[in-house]
Amino acid sequence: MSEQELQINPIVQDSVAHNTKTLTNLHSLTASLFGVGAGILGLESYYGFLFYIAFSITTSVLFYIFQLAPSSLAEGRGVLDSGRYYKGALELWTSGIFNGLPGFILTWTLFYGLVRA
Amino acid sequence: MAWLSRPLTLVGLVILAHGCYSAHEHTVLSSTSVQHPTSPSATSLPLDIYIETIAATVLICLGLVLGSGAPQPIQWHTWAGKIEREGDAGSGDADKETLGNPFNALEARSGFININKLHKDFVKYQQLGK
Repeated sequence: MSEQELQINPIVQDSVAHNTKTLTNLHSLTASLFGVGAGILGLESYYGFLFYIAFSITTSVLFYIFQLAPSSLAEGRGVLDSGRYYKGALELWTSGIFNGLPGFILTWTLFYGLVRA
Repeated sequence: MAWLSRPLTLVGLVILAHGCYSAHEHTVLSSTSVQHPTSPSATSLPLDIYIETIAATVLICLGLVLGSGAPQPIQWHTWAGKIEREGDAGSGDADKETLGNPFNALEARSGFININKLHKDFVKYQQLGK
């Protein structure tokens, strides 16, 4: 976004921080949960990571459907357009995958060990 | 919708715990049973545990999504318009994290003090006392 556009349409930094924090919290919590699921199912190697990526994207979609879509669509934006709440589309859809990965691996290995011991 | 968050999460956790217990029991039983020591079913879980675990994961995920706070618009004009329309108390009464009107102090401040008028009143008051 150019300097001129930022002058015409200023951005509320508090809201940006609030939204990012909400999304990060959600993804950290759910990533640990997916680790529990993957450990119970006894997934190994690529299947575990595929499980995680699939569910992480599902979380983002659910977050969009239940939290962003009602007001975003009412404003006249297109489907899956997160511009009302996030600066870039990637911030919503993929940042959560990398935020939650350590937590996922932690609980994945823990529950794999507990169940398969 | 937010009230659904906790019940969904709780129910999902119970189902997940049950799935975890079932998987553990299945592993223990199949490792100790001598009937089919080399059959593939001894290592892979039954289908219902898969379904149970994935359903529980989706339930908890849904509960957590519903429980996460509502996001705030980042465009200044959208955000300010929302505050104008919905009042200063923020959008939701449930979460205290919503940002209220940052200009509350300016909106609610008292007017200017007229020093000259106060002085005249004080002089009048003094003269009344005499």
